[in-house]
Amino acid sequence: MIEHGPLLERLLAGEFVCPISDESGYRHLTNEETREEIDTYLRPLNRRLASNEDGSVYFLAWRQLNDNARDQLSRQLGDTLNSLLPLLEWLQLVQEALGRDTLAAPGDVLKPAEFSAKCEDNQSLRERLERLATDSFFGSQSDQLDAQVKQVFKRLKEHGYLLQPHSERQVFVVTGKIDYLVDLVRFIRDEENLPIESGSEEGSGAQEALL
Amino acid sequence: MSGGEHALESRLLKTGSERLALLGKHADVLMQAYTRDEVPLESLSDSALRKLLAARILWRPDEQSGVKLAPKVRELIAEMLADETRRHVNADVAETLELIRALVHSYREARSRGEHWRLEQQLMRLRQEVDDLNGRFADAIDSLWQRLNSDFGFVSQLNDKIRENDRAQKQIARLLDGLALIDFDELIELVGSDGGLRKLLISQLQQQLSHHYTGLREVQRRLIELMARFRKQQARSRLISGMVAFMREHPGFVPGNYARRSEVPGLVNQAAPLSAAAAPALDRNLDSRLLAELLHQLPQPRHTTQTVEAAAPAQAQESSLAAARQQALKQDVEHFYLSVIDQPQAEPVSALEYLHESPLEWPDEIWLFQVISEYQGLPRSDQKAFRLKQQESQASQFNHLRLIHDVELQLAV
Repeated sequence: MIEHGPLLERLLAGEFVCPISDESGYRHLTNEETREEIDTYLRPLNRRLASNEDGSVYFLAWRQLNDNARDQLSRQLGDTLNSLLPLLEWLQLVQEALGRDTLAAPGDVLKPAEFSAKCEDNQSLRERLERLATDSFFGSQSDQLDAQVKQVFKRLKEHGYLLQPHSERQVFVVTGKIDYLVDLVRFIRDEENLPIESGSEEGSGAQEALL
Repeated sequence: MSGGEHALESRLLKTGSERLALLGKHADVLMQAYTRDEVPLESLSDSALRKLLAARILWRPDEQSGVKLAPKVRELIAEMLADETRRHVNADVAETLELIRALVHSYREARSRGEHWRLEQQLMRLRQEVDDLNGRFADAIDSLWQRLNSDFGFVSQLNDKIRENDRAQKQIARLLDGLALIDFDELIELVGSDGGLRKLLISQLQQQLSHHYTGLREVQRRLIELMARFRKQQARSRLISGMVAFMREHPGFVPGNYARRSEVPGLVNQAAPLSAAAAPALDRNLDSRLLAELLHQLPQPRHTTQTVEAAAPAQAQESSLAAARQQALKQDVEHFYLSVIDQPQAEPVSALEYLHESPLEWPDEIWLFQVISEYQGLPRSDQKAFRLKQQESQASQFNHLRLIHDVELQLAV
């Protein structure tokens, strides 16, 4: 267990472990024996190892859901839902600004400078960024584009969606926590029977109809 | 016969080289035709156009339409440029097999007639056909890998990538169908006992084809994987834009509180963070030594000097006040000493009496202290000039503590 000390610490601190955020830790977690060892260790702390459906991120879940745990989960769920729209809008904004036809995915490299430059050239992107950055989740107080972008990236890093490999370089990598967010959205859609199309067939017509 | 064949060969060589040279001579025009729909005729002379048409490098589909690049030439350029948008996969194995059968028959005829030159020619053509077949599979597989490794980078939209992937998978299916047409039992029967043919058409071909088969299967597996990834990306994109649109339309939307369900869904069960805190502990010998070392390694805190500086004015004020009082007391005691010196007949003077008669307001105890310490602070020679007499009593009969009630100072004459 000693060799898993740092990994356990990260998990206990509430971090999501994916191949981007902790490559060797994640590799250990793909081993079932290690997972069982860690689960045994976590038992007295009323925690267990959990992952999303694809197994692309690991995190800790409550083992026994007592009242305290449920209270905490309710609060957390509330926080997540409050930040859901700004996060999703940011994902869309990045996709559009960088001219990509897919969402930012784990391992994608994002540069705030490139993002700022794209937004600077396009009034509509600029306005959307402004609205997003001043949202209470991102909480930018500045009216400068660069400062707004910086704040948005900072908050995403704090929430574990982005990783900054070198603190002195403004280059970020998308982590596996994005997968968790997308899974959560899918879960909400299914649970609440929301009329949202995401079929893998040629469904762009249905998509347009929805928009 | 043989002479005629030689003449034919040299004529072929001559015409072939001439026509190949046309490709180089008109390379610019041909490349323009490759990137556009039609050949820009203005940059070609009539005779050059005639030659290019005769060499089937260019062709005219009908009288009305313009001059275009021949499909084979377009394919050749695409192949040379590894231009994946236009590279074709030719999986027509049946035709090649027909040709090989004909060549083998012709070869056996030539052998039975003892026509060595024709025999060699047929064997060479057979070899070329087999190489060609191999080359076609190798090219196709190379083209597929290129497309795969670039994630179909030659098209930018995800939908196009999905369509290209689909097309590539169909090509693989056709190539695999083509491979299945090659029946080695039939070939074994066809070549009979001829060692040279056996080597070329059986052992060599079999080895090469099985290599292609493995290659194709691998590309196919990877293409299917990539397709799944494309579809997943597409689904994610749609899911997110759908949810954003929904939440904008329904600003009051609140999903159920999943944390209150009897069965909490795994995805929302995320435990509260816990920090594994630790502090330095000194209850183990080994550790204390280590901690001591760490302590020594700590850099000297630089802020100490700053703190002293910051606190200095307040302290100075207090100590200067005390020093001033101390100085006043000292001066008053010195005056007392002077008055003793001034006493006529060197009468002893009680310190307390002097204090009480003067307007000075020192507490008795402090006064006595200062008088005694002043005496003790004098140089030995000066001390001899005075006589200090302490009026004291024992504090109790159980110890030797003595209390000083008063001191008398007298000039020692």
